[in-house]
Amino acid sequence: MPTKPMLSSSILLLLVVSLAQPAASSGMKPAATVPLPCESQNQLISPAGDQVAVSCSDHTLRLVDAGSGNTKHTFGPQPRITAYDYSRDGRWFAVGLRDGTVEVASTSGAAEDKRWKSDTHGIHDLKFLPDSSGIVVGSLDRPGQIWDLRGTPKQLAILHSDFAGLIHCSFSPDGKLLVTADGDTVIRFYDAATWKILHEYRGLALETFAVAFTTDGKRVLIGGPDDRITVLDPATGAELEKLPKEADVVWRILPFGNDGQARIFYFDGDGKRPDHESIWNVNTAKSVPLSAERPFTGSGIVGGKLWLSSANGKVLDIWVYE
Amino acid sequence: MNQTRREMLEKCVALGAVTLATSASLSAIARAWDTAEAKRQPTPFCELGPFYKRDAPHVSVLRAPGDPGMPLSVAGIVYSVNGEILPNAKLEIWQTDNFGHYDNAGYRFRTTIQPDPKSNYGFESVLPGHYPARVCQHVHYLVTAPGHKPLTTQLYFASDPVFDGDPDKNFSRDPLITSRELVRPVMLKGDPQQMVAAVTFDIVLEKA
Repeated sequence: MPTKPMLSSSILLLLVVSLAQPAASSGMKPAATVPLPCESQNQLISPAGDQVAVSCSDHTLRLVDAGSGNTKHTFGPQPRITAYDYSRDGRWFAVGLRDGTVEVASTSGAAEDKRWKSDTHGIHDLKFLPDSSGIVVGSLDRPGQIWDLRGTPKQLAILHSDFAGLIHCSFSPDGKLLVTADGDTVIRFYDAATWKILHEYRGLALETFAVAFTTDGKRVLIGGPDDRITVLDPATGAELEKLPKEADVVWRILPFGNDGQARIFYFDGDGKRPDHESIWNVNTAKSVPLSAERPFTGSGIVGGKLWLSSANGKVLDIWVYE
Repeated sequence: MNQTRREMLEKCVALGAVTLATSASLSAIARAWDTAEAKRQPTPFCELGPFYKRDAPHVSVLRAPGDPGMPLSVAGIVYSVNGEILPNAKLEIWQTDNFGHYDNAGYRFRTTIQPDPKSNYGFESVLPGHYPARVCQHVHYLVTAPGHKPLTTQLYFASDPVFDGDPDKNFSRDPLITSRELVRPVMLKGDPQQMVAAVTFDIVLEKA
């Protein structure tokens, strides 16, 4: 893949710490300002915080070095990119395309890209296996697929769904469990060594849009159009509790820290109110709104901490949530 | 139909319009012809969500008196790709109201339908509204039948203003529309005081 022209070194990253950044809500510590190669509405910060995946307005997706601002890799623009993610160690990055193609690239450029077509109408979610040896490919039309990335990609297993596909999935912190939110409204817990179903949760009539393990691995948080977080026990698949209801649809859950915290993304199903976010403490079942003068456009979990980003033209400001 | 086909073949053969390059009987040829013509293309896939909700009630009239919006009447037949009718199919159907709102708390404009013994199904509703995250008016379907692959698809309307009157040219304005075939003609029925938008949407399932 060709990369965009490099930015001049004279305007490269103004790394770290400028208290002159646009103010975010309290508890935000400025971390970095990164020049962007394009205007962007969405970013994903790598697990090491040394790179940002930047979704550009020209429909390309670029891996940008957070230290130099240089573009390391460009994906797209066609077919349209519909999902992407870093591996846990940040060494690999995967994109899924609308036509079912998957591309996996080394974030350092040390290895050749892998590109293949999965058996789907379009990819909705991608998750590397915790040891990066494989990847889960989720689509809305087929059950989830497990692909082996050692050597030429090959399909290892097909997950289950009564109908429809896999909307979202998450691995446990120890890598032993996979939990999936499937279009048939069922939450399934898999043994990540055998891909056998261990438990199912069928307590919701509506689809679940987001699923995530808490950082201690002891709970699973799920959310969707019932406008609330439901907490499940990964040891049994049983429901533990429902957190208080919010006004809008939950579409993403990002646990962080060591105190049961999670960033929750909401949207209005009718499209009348703007998207918004809260920080929930699952231990206390309390939440605070997450807001800033400029909307956050990206995030990542770096060393267990929540990093937030906001693009302003071709500049990306990054904060650490504290 | 077989008899008619065979008679037609006999006549064609007698008149020299058809030459048989096979030793099969005219009856067998007529049956094979019928089977070939009965084969149907599976209904194109379209994604399930959002806002599928299982266990919808078995109702055929989704609109209530006073519901705003153009009354909609949808009817069709559920087939297999071999042309067999599938009266044991189950259709789960959901849509927004006229304002583009899904009822996630309850089951308004959601239904589960069992076709009649001839595999006919139908429901009365209103034309769904537009909402910001989606380009076109649409009705969601999840269709299952024993021995067949589940189908998720969506019904679209040729009358949708998004198509500017030319769905052949403009159906791809909604990136989720996987096939022009899913955009169905709309026939206006009734008198001007009680006009109904009538749509036919047959469903064809693939064998499992």
